[in-house]
Amino acid sequence: MYVLLTLFAAFFVVPIIWLVFEAIGVHLGLIAGNLGIWLFNSVLYSAAGAAIAITACIPAGYAIATHEFPGRRALLILTMLVMLIPTSALVLPLFLEANEVHQLTSPLAVIVPYGLFPFGVYLSYLYFHTERFSVLFQTARSDGCNEWQVFRHIAVPLSKPVAALIVFLNIVASWTNFFLPWVMYWSTNTTDRYPLPLGIALQLFSGETSGEYLGVVQLHTSWPPSAIAFLLLATIAPVVVVFILARRWIGSGHFQGVFR
Amino acid sequence: MKRKSPTRPRKSGYLFIAPYVVLLVAIGIYPAGYVVHLALTSLTGHFTWLGNFIDSTHNSEFVPAFENIIKFLGIWLTALVVFVVSLSLMLHSLNERVGAAFRFVLYLPAALAGSASVMLWLFMLQPGKSPWGFVLSWLGYHTLGDSLAPAHLPVIFALIAFWSGAGSWIVVMHGALATIPEEVLESARLDGAGAWRTAVNIKLPLIKKWIAYMVIGAFAAGSQLFAEPQLISEATGGIANQAWSPNQLAIFLAFHYDYFNYAAAISVDLLVVAVICAAVVLLRTGLFDVGH
Repeated sequence: MYVLLTLFAAFFVVPIIWLVFEAIGVHLGLIAGNLGIWLFNSVLYSAAGAAIAITACIPAGYAIATHEFPGRRALLILTMLVMLIPTSALVLPLFLEANEVHQLTSPLAVIVPYGLFPFGVYLSYLYFHTERFSVLFQTARSDGCNEWQVFRHIAVPLSKPVAALIVFLNIVASWTNFFLPWVMYWSTNTTDRYPLPLGIALQLFSGETSGEYLGVVQLHTSWPPSAIAFLLLATIAPVVVVFILARRWIGSGHFQGVFR
Repeated sequence: MKRKSPTRPRKSGYLFIAPYVVLLVAIGIYPAGYVVHLALTSLTGHFTWLGNFIDSTHNSEFVPAFENIIKFLGIWLTALVVFVVSLSLMLHSLNERVGAAFRFVLYLPAALAGSASVMLWLFMLQPGKSPWGFVLSWLGYHTLGDSLAPAHLPVIFALIAFWSGAGSWIVVMHGALATIPEEVLESARLDGAGAWRTAVNIKLPLIKKWIAYMVIGAFAAGSQLFAEPQLISEATGGIANQAWSPNQLAIFLAFHYDYFNYAAAISVDLLVVAVICAAVVLLRTGLFDVGH
């Protein structure tokens, strides 16, 4: 069994080790400028998207878990339905919508869609949907807190663990997203808006082919392999850092709260 | 003494859900409605019933794109079920720290989802550059073009998807396995069940619905395949097909021919598949708390 597991571990990890060794020979001067722009865009889109997501998810999950209002169950079911639909199914529709409202080349064209995170609402709902919390909120109300105070001073401080999980999952999703920014910016040739995943794709689009028919095609990139390896490492480094920080959840099954 | 009513607050709930509902409408419901509207109308705005859906199937790339995606899904889903389930069961039988370390290694490639994983795998498939060069040369591949022959593409996309995606499912399976009460495993041990019997007869049936969820979820996500074939098409200078998958075909029709209504029709085809999958997971697996 250990032989089998080690073989699988090698399959998963050898490409990443190769990447690290390949990147050692990089000449940073060649790539620093573009890398800076793509990195800035990636950080901007992911951070702004996560900020919107957390602002929308925490109160919505809280209200669905602790309030009783007409349409509550319908909203919960709709949320889960949208959460189970792959985000790429809405990319072309979003492109058509962004085109209609003339926001195609704006940063908002990807930031606002990143902010819609129904899975985060579901996680927040599960988190607040416990007897312990509802007793706590009820006590605060009978002590004279109004609804806003209950939320602001009790629910928000309590939400820290689930908020961290939502931010983590949302950032990993938006950081690695390719299809949405590709449709918004590649098709409109808005190169100064490219996030890292599009910068990577740009390396393949060197404008020339290295063979007339498939049999003789070799990999042809605009940057040398060492620079690309460095670019890939720069792309994954922040995610790996977040992974390591989040290892408590990933490694030890703290995702369990999600499971019935 | 007057007791406060135990009923939960009502009206203020609307205030708390407002930001989310605005987003849900603007980013989810409105664009979905808009694409359905486009799919049902002609360029001049006339209602055409299913005309666009029927006409889009006549495109010479339509049937091949769906054949390609079905081949890819067949390979990928089989690999997911066989390897994710067996790896998860193996890891669950190890001690906690060793298991966690393995899971972390298997999860690491998830950081390279999308274009980064495709770029990395292009190097892995380039003879002379790849650390797997000995495998490629054993298979008789001497150029990237050999590795990327059209018949290989479903396997290659499945390989990339498995490499960057299997780890997340292993984490999900671990979460599901962790909910099995210790007493259940303990009594199996007392009854003399070995590791193999426990895995197959006790653990497997208890995570069956999670396997169903994985298959349906991966089917829905896999049917949307875009980044992998798009980048491989670019890497080969367009020699590999630019409309390999249905999503690519929709984008191709929209951007190269301005056939937005046909593109919308294909997009709706895919959206319907996704909605059906989501509804099946929600209503049939009983995995999600739908509020009482």
